[in-house]
Amino acid sequence: MKQPLLALVNLNKYYGDVHVLKDITFTINEGEFLTLLGPSGCGKTTLLRCIAGLERIQSGDILLSGTSIKDLAPNKRNVNTVFQNYALFPHLNVYDNIAYGPRMKKSLGEAALKQRVAEVLELVQMSGYEQRMPHQLSGGQRQRIAIARALINEPAILLLDEPLGALDLKLRKHMQTELSRLQRKTGTTFVYVTHDQEEALNMSDRIVVIDQGEVQQLGTPREIYNNPANLFVTSFIGDRNIFPVEVVEAGSQYCRVRLGENVVTVRRSCSAQGALRAGEEAILAILMDKMRLSCEAVENAFKGEVLSIHYAGSQIRIEVKVLDQVLTIVEYQKTDCDCAVGDTVYAAWEESGAILLPKEAGWEERGW
Amino acid sequence: MRSWKNNLLAVPILLWIGVLVGIPMLLVVAISFLSRDHLGNIVYQFTLDNYRKAFDPIYLRVFWNSLRLALLTALITLVVGYPVAYITSNLSPRRRALALGLVMLPFWISSLLRTYGWMILLGNAGLINNLLKALGIIQQPLPMMYKFGTSLVGTAYMLLPFMIVAVFNSVDKLDRSLLEASYDLGASRWQTFFQITIPLTLPGIVGGFTLVFIPALGLYFVSDLLGGGNTVFLGNLIHTLATRGRNRPLAAAFSLGMVALALLVLLFYWRVTKDKSGEGLFQ
Repeated sequence: MKQPLLALVNLNKYYGDVHVLKDITFTINEGEFLTLLGPSGCGKTTLLRCIAGLERIQSGDILLSGTSIKDLAPNKRNVNTVFQNYALFPHLNVYDNIAYGPRMKKSLGEAALKQRVAEVLELVQMSGYEQRMPHQLSGGQRQRIAIARALINEPAILLLDEPLGALDLKLRKHMQTELSRLQRKTGTTFVYVTHDQEEALNMSDRIVVIDQGEVQQLGTPREIYNNPANLFVTSFIGDRNIFPVEVVEAGSQYCRVRLGENVVTVRRSCSAQGALRAGEEAILAILMDKMRLSCEAVENAFKGEVLSIHYAGSQIRIEVKVLDQVLTIVEYQKTDCDCAVGDTVYAAWEESGAILLPKEAGWEERGW
Repeated sequence: MRSWKNNLLAVPILLWIGVLVGIPMLLVVAISFLSRDHLGNIVYQFTLDNYRKAFDPIYLRVFWNSLRLALLTALITLVVGYPVAYITSNLSPRRRALALGLVMLPFWISSLLRTYGWMILLGNAGLINNLLKALGIIQQPLPMMYKFGTSLVGTAYMLLPFMIVAVFNSVDKLDRSLLEASYDLGASRWQTFFQITIPLTLPGIVGGFTLVFIPALGLYFVSDLLGGGNTVFLGNLIHTLATRGRNRPLAAAFSLGMVALALLVLLFYWRVTKDKSGEGLFQ
């Protein structure tokens, strides 16, 4: 088996009494685009700073190509960071900012340096900006310079801390494509921190979902979107209707569940966490855009009453009341069922869009 | 309309400065061109004699003494004050308030009294000498009083808070993520200090330098008490000429020489802080 580029082994970090990173263990492969995804305050930025060496860890280890780097100062680690606010040196022009790393390490002569700076500027499509000062650049341009300043050091890993957070939506979309391109072109391993699920799903080879300092799930975007491992991931990624149902019959792959008079068959979560037993409550999660409405009774559907219909351009959002649950259904084409508010309808779904998960203690309190 | 109102609001302060600074200043300029009689009264007769005397080689030494004292004072306060300001800005908000309070505390006591404090500390029968003698380290008291160095220590002590506050304002504004970025890019702590911290806190350094240098030129009671008049500084000379020496026209000429020196330093301050992003001390 190929050795992973970076291995995090039972990493623990405390701020005073607060346990911010709990037993983090996973590996990062060479050349991959790995995203740390989680809500603000989940510890993802702290984890990134631990890898960079800007924070010390209390226990566990960080192995870069098999060698422990946990006690190395940040300037001795072969990783570089693109900071959230870019952190360009305001008193240095673009050229001197980018040349900073090689100059401090005295790794290049001035002639070679000049050529390398030109190369990385070309790479981030900022050639000709050498003499500009940081305050003369736009947000997106500063972003590119910050990336160039890190890449010139040819780090084993480039750490990016919410680099697109400060940009407007349109520029963000553009920079997403741009970052993917850069990553493929340089073959550098990227570890990317974001709270934006769309960014994560769009760019990553693999995603690590983090919440409350713990790894919730690690997988490809597809795996995480289609097969969330637990209730947190289910609620954090994708727009789903999430509600409790009663298990009637628990099978190895499918379960029969009941909501009022409706009894349906649904796919169960493949994660081994918690058990699904007949007679107990479980949580059903269905992607809103995988649901379909019909006017006649169909197999595997919930019978309900239309509460409201919202037209939002290409999509139509319909709220359906099933017992005391309100389900939101997003349809992209004209619905088969030309329903009106107050009509009785049947809400069905594509099989892959629904997943049954065991109930977790206190999940209602967390507001999912 | 708005600017007119704003200008109106500035009238009281302009009057204040005009009456209390401008008019006395003009008087000094006027007197420096006048003569005196043998009793020391001003005689309204135009002369350039005072300036001729002031730039006499004998007196140039006095200028040099003062310049040296002011420069060294600024240097010492910088070397001592910079770390204090830097460490203070890294403290938690409560401790930082306490530290700044302690820096300001000496201002509650008359500076004359504090200078006497130094005499008690440094005198031949002073605290330090007595302690060293009691410990058997020395037999004869170390002569620490009435030297150029004594005046320097006293002046630096007196002006240190100005340097600390000026540097603190600059260091406090320094974005710490720039330091992290520097380490991250492979720079050591010293490299980061000289490449990032110093250049970005330069306005505070130059501001503090100005705030210390200018008063150091004129402070005369410290060097009077601690230096014992063994080294003559501009301040002492002006003081003596204007009082016991009964030569106010010459004192005025020296005063203007001192003002010229101070203006030179201010000019330097403006040059250094004008470009860049305008992080000046007085903004």
